[in-house]
Amino acid sequence: MEIDSLREGFDRVAEKRSLSSAKALEAVDQIVNEVEQAIVKLQMMNTDSTGNVDHPSILAELKSKLNEMAPLNQLEGSQKELNGALSKYLKVLEKSFNPDISKAYRNVDFEVHTVNNIIANHFYRQGLFDLGDMFARECGELGGTSLKLPFQEMYAILEAMKARNLEPALSWAAKNHDQLLQNGSMLEFKLYQLQFVEILSKGSRGEGKDEALLYARTHLVPFAAVHKEEFQKLMACLLWVGRLDQSPYSELMSSAHWEKLAEELTHQFCSLLGQSRESPLSVAVSAGFQGLPTLLKLTQVMAAKKQEWQVMKQLPVPIDIGPEFQYHSVFVCPVLREQSSDENPPMRMPCGHVVSKQSIMKLSKSSSRPFKCPYCPSEAVASHCKQLHF
Amino acid sequence: MDMAIDTPSPAPPPTPPAPSAAAGRQTRAAEAVRLEHQLVRVPLESLRATVRSNHRLAEKEIAAVLSSASAAPAESSAAAVDHLTSLVSRLHGLKRKMEEGARVEELQVQRCRARLDRLATASTGDDAEWEDIRLKRILVDYMLRMSYYDSATKLAETSGIQELVDIDVFLDAKRVIDSLQNNEVAPALAWCAENKSRLKKSKSKLEFLLRLQEFVEFVKAKNCIQAIAYARKHLAPWGNMHMKELQRVTATLVFRSNTNCTPYKILFEQERWDYLVDIFKQDFCKLYGMTLEPLLNIYLQAGLTALKTPFCTEGSCPREDPLSLEGFRKLAEPLPFSKQHHSKLVCYITKELMDTENPPRVLPNGYVYSEKALQEMSKKNDGKITCPRTGDVCDFSECVRAFIS
Repeated sequence: MEIDSLREGFDRVAEKRSLSSAKALEAVDQIVNEVEQAIVKLQMMNTDSTGNVDHPSILAELKSKLNEMAPLNQLEGSQKELNGALSKYLKVLEKSFNPDISKAYRNVDFEVHTVNNIIANHFYRQGLFDLGDMFARECGELGGTSLKLPFQEMYAILEAMKARNLEPALSWAAKNHDQLLQNGSMLEFKLYQLQFVEILSKGSRGEGKDEALLYARTHLVPFAAVHKEEFQKLMACLLWVGRLDQSPYSELMSSAHWEKLAEELTHQFCSLLGQSRESPLSVAVSAGFQGLPTLLKLTQVMAAKKQEWQVMKQLPVPIDIGPEFQYHSVFVCPVLREQSSDENPPMRMPCGHVVSKQSIMKLSKSSSRPFKCPYCPSEAVASHCKQLHF
Repeated sequence: MDMAIDTPSPAPPPTPPAPSAAAGRQTRAAEAVRLEHQLVRVPLESLRATVRSNHRLAEKEIAAVLSSASAAPAESSAAAVDHLTSLVSRLHGLKRKMEEGARVEELQVQRCRARLDRLATASTGDDAEWEDIRLKRILVDYMLRMSYYDSATKLAETSGIQELVDIDVFLDAKRVIDSLQNNEVAPALAWCAENKSRLKKSKSKLEFLLRLQEFVEFVKAKNCIQAIAYARKHLAPWGNMHMKELQRVTATLVFRSNTNCTPYKILFEQERWDYLVDIFKQDFCKLYGMTLEPLLNIYLQAGLTALKTPFCTEGSCPREDPLSLEGFRKLAEPLPFSKQHHSKLVCYITKELMDTENPPRVLPNGYVYSEKALQEMSKKNDGKITCPRTGDVCDFSECVRAFIS
């Protein structure tokens, strides 16, 4: 879309608007002017006793002057120009945008209470606890599952990390040691490493070394076997205590490590809670923005063909949304052009090409004879084809 | 999508080359911006309304002053001076009002500009901040339509998006809605009068329905004489357009509010006021170029339709899929399933799409994982692969390629 042409159109509207408003004020000023002049003349007449002019003629003069000025016509004229610019701009809007995005809306009632619960939990997930509480109160959605408490714990840990305090994070990681290990996460070790580097970079040479050494003995040694390389590197850092920034390991002090670790912690925390990483509401709405244009085109086509959009069980065409929204493996048999299912699973022929079981049955005349792969010159027999699980 | 067909393949008809991922993302983002009609339309409608009412005020006052000026008393000059002086002060009053009106217009112009500026910075596909603000705008819209005004205001303020949402427009509507809920029609009628020509253009029935309701209230209060007088004045003009309904409602004169006769009974019910609120909301949305449904519902429906697959209800549905959650499943229930024309394979281990860069490999037991995932696993375990779903162990070298088109 060309925002610039929209801007131009709107600039015209804005220009005509200030013009029209200035013109109207000017017209009022002119009237005031004329009336005030008439008043002065009337007052002059009172003091000036020559009596050359009488007041009816002054009033008549005022009247004719006002008539001549025709302020209402002036007003009308500039207003007309403004309205012209406005309706032109409105037409541009209609053309540049999709004026009715509700055409693809299916008339089903979204249960308000379900939507509200989703929204409240979205706010809790984002760490907007006050807002979540206020919303839940305002819509009367105080029951229902709430993510408030677990996410409050998470945000407390993250807040502490922002203030360079790793204690809450470490105690959480220690508590969930086994599960983190199971997830293959190095979070706990990385947290100890960060704390160790922090001690090294802050401490003065004498005390710092002792403190760091003690810390390494108690906290890092248990991980030494698993993370040998990192461990050695960290121990070498002891040589540069107090001036780590001038060492070959200065990179370890980068604040990027803190951000990365906060991200990793969020990831693991959500995972252990059984929650997704992204807010499901954000995901669904983003998918909606990507999918809606196709759906709108589809409803247009279907309306022209007099097909019923409201009751259809499956869309007739695919919707193009980003790969980030692909959560499930879908196999579409290239021969039958059908999605695979439990009854008709994907099969790999010895040459490596994959088609559906029904296709193989057809090609091999119910496994009675060898057949040629539809993709390459090699031959196959049905019994050598293997079912795949994605 | 073509995947790793490295042998010559004459059959089947070649699929058009898939656009590059980045280009696809950009077209999708551009298309998404085209959906934002409401964002630019509503402030423009507010501006139009203000311009119109300011113009009307100036016109009316100036006309009044002009006719008053020509009717100045001519008996004595002192009386004429007094008269004209009062006109001058009236004009000064008008000028103040007009200046104030112009200020309001300017604020609205600014708001229209802010919206265009916002769209100009639209994400080209991968901008978390832009999408976050977009979701917040949509949530504010939802809250305003559901009358959760406090939450709407707080969300807009805490995220600094006041210029991008239409709280004041909805607060205007709130006044009317509140009054209707208190069984008062006056503010709603005033709103109809303000927007008379445009409501007429969209064939709105709101004013007629409000008049009917007032009539029924007279009948309810057993005030038949007044009811008839009211009907003569306010209902009769609608005769051409809505004769049937007019007849039905006037027939309530002979029934009492405790009637059991169904077609008339419902006219006396309290629910009629809720109905009026609904009709008002519809007309209000139409007038401002808004969708009748909250934006959130529209986007959620589209999103859930795009995401809905038969696999979502399986136990193995990954938790990153919103449809793994009870609430979203419930919302998606009446929606159609999406459709795929081409295979799309997601690695069970890394959750990444398998394509030519990261092709699928088959274990001897028939389970398929991405090459990347298997390579990593074999590096850590001296070339051994353990199938995460069955526990079967094999060598990396035993994993064969699969060609999927």
